[in-house]
Formats: sequence, structure tokens, C-alpha cells
Amino acid sequence: MSGHAPLQRVLIVDDEPPIRRFLRTGLSSQGYQTVEAEDGPSARNALRQNAVDVVVLDLGLPGLDGFEIIRELREQGSTVPILVLSSRTDETGKVRALDLGADDYVTKPFGMDELLARLRAALRHRLQQQGERPIFRVDDLAVDLVRRIVSVRDGEVKLTPREYDILRTLMAHAGKVLTHRLLMREVWGTETDVAYLRIYIRTLRQKLEADPDRPQLILTEQGVGYRLKAPE
Amino acid sequence: MADITPHSLQQRAVQEERGRLNVLLLGPTSPRRSPQSAGTTSARDFKAYAGSLGMVAAAMLIGLLLRRYGISNVALVFLTAVLSSAVTYGLWPSLFACLAAVLAYNFFFLPPYYTFTIAAPENVVALFFFMVVALVASWLSSRVRAQAVSARERAATTENLYLFSRKLAGVFTLDDLLWAAAFQFAQMLKLRVVILLPDARTLSVRAGYPPEDMLDEADIAAATWVFEHASPAGRGADTLPGSKRLFLPMRTGRGVVGIVGLDSDRPGPLLTPDQRRLFDALSDQAALAIERVNLSEDIERTRLAAETERLRSALLTSISHDLRTPLASILGSATTLRSQHGNLDARAQDELVGTIQEEAERLNRFIANLLDMTRLESGALSPQLDFVDLGDIAGSAMRRASSVLAHHQVRVEISADLPMLRLDPVLFEQVLFNLLDNAAKYTPPGSTIELRAVRLDNQVRVDVSDEGEGIPAGDVERIFDKFYRVQAIDRKRAGTGLGLAICRGFVEAMGGTIRAANRRDRCGALLIITLPVPAEQPRERAA
Repeated sequence: MSGHAPLQRVLIVDDEPPIRRFLRTGLSSQGYQTVEAEDGPSARNALRQNAVDVVVLDLGLPGLDGFEIIRELREQGSTVPILVLSSRTDETGKVRALDLGADDYVTKPFGMDELLARLRAALRHRLQQQGERPIFRVDDLAVDLVRRIVSVRDGEVKLTPREYDILRTLMAHAGKVLTHRLLMREVWGTETDVAYLRIYIRTLRQKLEADPDRPQLILTEQGVGYRLKAPE
Repeated sequence: MADITPHSLQQRAVQEERGRLNVLLLGPTSPRRSPQSAGTTSARDFKAYAGSLGMVAAAMLIGLLLRRYGISNVALVFLTAVLSSAVTYGLWPSLFACLAAVLAYNFFFLPPYYTFTIAAPENVVALFFFMVVALVASWLSSRVRAQAVSARERAATTENLYLFSRKLAGVFTLDDLLWAAAFQFAQMLKLRVVILLPDARTLSVRAGYPPEDMLDEADIAAATWVFEHASPAGRGADTLPGSKRLFLPMRTGRGVVGIVGLDSDRPGPLLTPDQRRLFDALSDQAALAIERVNLSEDIERTRLAAETERLRSALLTSISHDLRTPLASILGSATTLRSQHGNLDARAQDELVGTIQEEAERLNRFIANLLDMTRLESGALSPQLDFVDLGDIAGSAMRRASSVLAHHQVRVEISADLPMLRLDPVLFEQVLFNLLDNAAKYTPPGSTIELRAVRLDNQVRVDVSDEGEGIPAGDVERIFDKFYRVQAIDRKRAGTGLGLAICRGFVEAMGGTIRAANRRDRCGALLIITLPVPAEQPRERAA
């Protein structure tokens, strides 16, 4: 891997040395280069001195908090993917970070597999934005983005325009969580009641999922938003 | 004879009976009558004297009638009148009757008639002995009467005291008790009554009849003095006589338990000695009852403290067990991996690593439960209610529980006509997760767990059922207690004892209920959540 593609550089921002150590070990073994920062100011320095491909950011930093870093980065026009580390009961913190421009989150404690999957999705999304593929495929679902044809197990499925808009938004960010607010803004152009979104998600699942009671494609992140399964 | 008054007689009678009737004689026994009792007695006295006079007049008429038939010795007729007066009206009216009889007998029946002079010396002797006999007879019979009267009064008082003690025995809260006592004092003593009890530092009015809750400073000072010195103060007493009320202590063997304040619009002393004795009897009973209630409240407090202590030690036991066990496994596996690295084959290494992961996940679940419990207990939980799709929550709960459910089948039946519900999706996902986790924990691998949701009128019922041994009879309510665990034979998958307590707390915070039962169709536990269907469903606005 190192021979061909340039190493992707991950900035790890966390005040806990054991967390940084295990992230460093886990990420290096997967071929990532790591840069570490223990607080806001040192993260700022690291970002200035290094070309960073992705940021793994703990929200609960001492001093300058994680939200501040996200805000600064996005205000400066940076599009570097940001993966947030947050605590379990803090749904509002997750939503706030995502609405500020973070790309995704992982809830502490987390497994390395989960973190790597999120990291890949965030990086892939960046590539995807640069050149969208005409056919989107995941599991049994195939969507022809040019002709707007949706099929499940090779059978065409009729979607209403709004259902298609929701699916299209989810596909554009496949593998990444989308907050309710972001989805509604994209689809309705305004922030409507989350309840309508939930109704549409239910009908979409009934049309697309093999077992709507146990969705495998459109996954709910309770209290945060939805995530479409990423293509392999 | 001068000291033989109805009052002293009664007192003597009471003293004689003291041993048997347990009549209390406390405090000063002043023989002086209070003005108000004198006032009422004078009217009665007038009637008594008039009645006595009437009786003597009747005797005289009978005597005159008898004389017409030649019977001139009518002394016994007059004696009868004197006796009747003594029995009916008591000593003094009968003495009055005695005097009247002597005069009338002399005037009408001893020659020369219609003068107070007596001709024959034997008649002087007869009149003298008549007078002696009349006096002795009236004294004796009035004494009998006084005894009868006081016995009747004692019986009435005893009856009232008995009823009062019965009433107090049936009262379990201090406030009810104090109101009952105040009412009883007021009724039996015909006075206004307040009852004060010591609080942490001060005395405060706890009951009154008629209701009263403010006392002026002089009264409070008097009451405080009474509490500190356990003797009376205030109006009519030696100490602080300037205050409006008379304050008396309510005592038990353990000291003063409360203060009674008495007052009345009538001038003069508030209590006659009899009333004072009655008061003492009443206040002794009330004091004992107050002490009883206080003691039972102390016992309840002690019980609560013990319960809190029990919970705290259960928490400590649980925490030390539930934190240490996974930590021990993790530490053991990690150190083995490190020191025995060379001696372990790939499978052994994988097993140790698997243990570390599983135990860390278990630890994580336990800590999450502790945090949820803390949120519930601290009142920090504020559900974010929103219209949600139950199937959506069930799906995400099952996804989160997929590792604990790895060895079980899960069957989901969510009826298609289910309305949107107003729930906090995060909290409800946790509820379902805990129920699924619990079901997996207490049932054998390979068994089926069912999650079913149906609409019943204006409720949605969510059932989670399993194929385990079910819940022991008598435990269906206790399983929702904190740190309660069903005593399983196989303890290796014991939970934190918090999961269901959290479920109940969360469900109730969202306006639903949760209860447990055993399955009817087969062996297994059944957890039933009922949730209200919101009155209105969301409708999409034209966008």
C-alpha cells in the first residue's frame, strides 16, 4: 500500500494518552500516518504545520473545546473530514458537532473496526464528491442516478419524488450519518417536523428493505439521524 | 359542720375512691369556687331553697289536715319533708328546710297556736329533739346524695376518658391525633385550646380548637417556660400571669412532649380543681399517644435509614462485583497475552483477546446502566418527546443488541397499523435494549425472544417475551427494584440488577407503564409496556 498511494495522514486530538496510544497503534497498522495533539491549541498548531487528510477529534477537550475547532476549520473553508469522538448520552453534542460541519461520530468506548469504517466512509465521501458515480449499488439496492431508476433485487421500485430526494441525499453521503436537520434542509428546503421525515423513512424502508423491521440499508442513529449503508 | 360543704364531701369521696378509680389529684386544690360556677349554682340554689320551702309547706298542709281528724303529732310529716329536701337538693337546702320546719311546727302545731311561744316544757324538749333528728337526717341523706352525684359524674368522665383513649388509639398521624386531642380538651373543659409541640428548635402551634395558629410573644414565652420547666405558666399561674392563655405541660415518663394552652372569654380562673384533674387525665392520655406516634415515626425513620443503607451496600456490592469481575478477566487475559505470548497458539491468543473484548463490552454496559440510573435518580432526565415510529426504534435497538443476541432467535411482529407515538427515541431504544439484553441473559442459547407491538384502542402494547424459566411467583413486581436479581441457578450471566429499574423509570418518564408477568402459552417471562397513543398524528404540511 505504502508503495503506491501516498500515506493518508490522520490528526488525533484527544487529551487522554491511552486513547491516543491505541489510536496511533491501530491506525498505523492500517497504513495511516498519525499526528497527535492533546488539546485545542496544539491541534491548531498541528493543522497549521501538517497537511492532514482527516481529523479524529475528541469533543471533551480541556480549554478550547472540540466544537470550537470544528467551527474554526469550517470557517477557514477547510473541507478536511472530521470524525468526532463523543460520549454515549450526549446526543445533542453529536448533533451540534455534525451541524457545525463534522462528518461523522463514534461513541466512546468504540471498537477499532467501527472507527476504521467511519474513517473510510469519511475519506471515500471526499473522493466521491469529486466524481459521482452514475450507478449506486449497495446490497440488493441499485440506483441509476442519471435515469433515476431504483431497483431492489433487479425489480424496479417506484418512489415518490420526495422519497427519491431522501434516498438521493442519503446516497450522496453513503456511510455517513446525516442529521435530521440536514436531511430536512436538503429535501424540503426548510426544517419541517422530524415526524414527517420518520414517516418517509418508514415507507422507504418498506419499499427497499428485505425486512423493514430490521433495516440493513437505512440505519437509524437514535436521537441523531440516519445513515445509509456504504457500498463495499 | 362548717367544713362539710358539698365540695369537700365530693373531694373526700373522690379521695376515698382514688385507689380504685385512678382519679388524679394534682396541683393545688383550692376550696374557693370560681365565679362562673357560683353564678350557675346560685340559680340552682334558689330553686333548691324554694323547693325545700315548698316541701315544708306541703308538710304543713298535710299536718293541718291531719289535725282536723284529731291527729296532732305531725313531727314525722315535717321530718319527711326535710329528708325529701336533703335527698333532692343536698345539705344546705335541707338545713334550710329543717329551719323552716322547726319554725312552722312551732307556729302551727305547738300550743299556743299561731305564736312562736311554747307553753308546755315537754314540747320544748320535743321541738329540740325534732330539730336534732332533722339535722342529722338531712346531713346523712345529703351525704348519700352527694356520693350518688359524684359517682354519676365520675362515671360520665370515665366514659368520656375511655372514649377519648379509644379514639387516640385509632389515630396514627400526629396531626390527626393533635386535632382530636384539642377537640376533646375544648369539649370537656368548655375552653379554647391550642396544642404546641417542640420542633427542631422552637415550639409551634400544631392544633387548636377552635382552629388557631398564631400566638403572641407573651404566650410563646409562657409556653417556652412551661416546656423548659415542666410546670404551668400564664394566665392564673404563678409564672408569667400576664399572658392571655394558661399553658400546661403534657408529660410522659420521658418528659414534656407538648404544651396545651387554654383560654376563655370569661374572667377569673380557667379551671376549677375538678376540671384541672380532668385536664390532667386527658393530657396524660394525649401525651402518651403523642409519644406513641413519635416513637412509631422514629421507627419509620430508622427503617428508612436502614433501607437506604441496604441500598447503598447493595450498590457497593454490585459495583465492586460488576466492575471487578470484568476487570479481573481483562487484566488476566492481557497479562497472559503479554507474558505467555511465545507459548500461546493462535487459537488461545484469539480466545484471550475475545475475552478482553467481551468483558470490556460488559463493563461498558454496566457503567451505562449506572449512568442511566444516576440520571433517573438525580431528576436530570428530561425526555425529548417526539413523534416516532416504533418499528424504527425496535430496529435500532436490535442492531445495538446484536452482539448480546448472537445466540438467540429474535422474532419481531409490529403491526402495520401502528400509529406514530410520542416518545424519546433514545430512551425508548434503551428500554428495548435492556429488555432484549435481559431476555438473552436469562434464557438458554438457541431459544426465541419475541418482540410484539399491537394497538389496543388508545394504547399501544409492546410485549417482550422469552422462553426461559419465567419469573418466580412473588417476584413480578420486585424485578423492577434496583439491584434486584432473580436468583438464577446459573449465575454466570448475572446482570447489574439495574436494567429493569431503568426501563421502568424511562417508560414512566415517557408516560407509559411497564409490568412483568409469566407467559400463559408456555414457560417464559413476559414484559409488557403500554404507551399512550397521542391524540393527534402529524400531518405533512404542503411544502
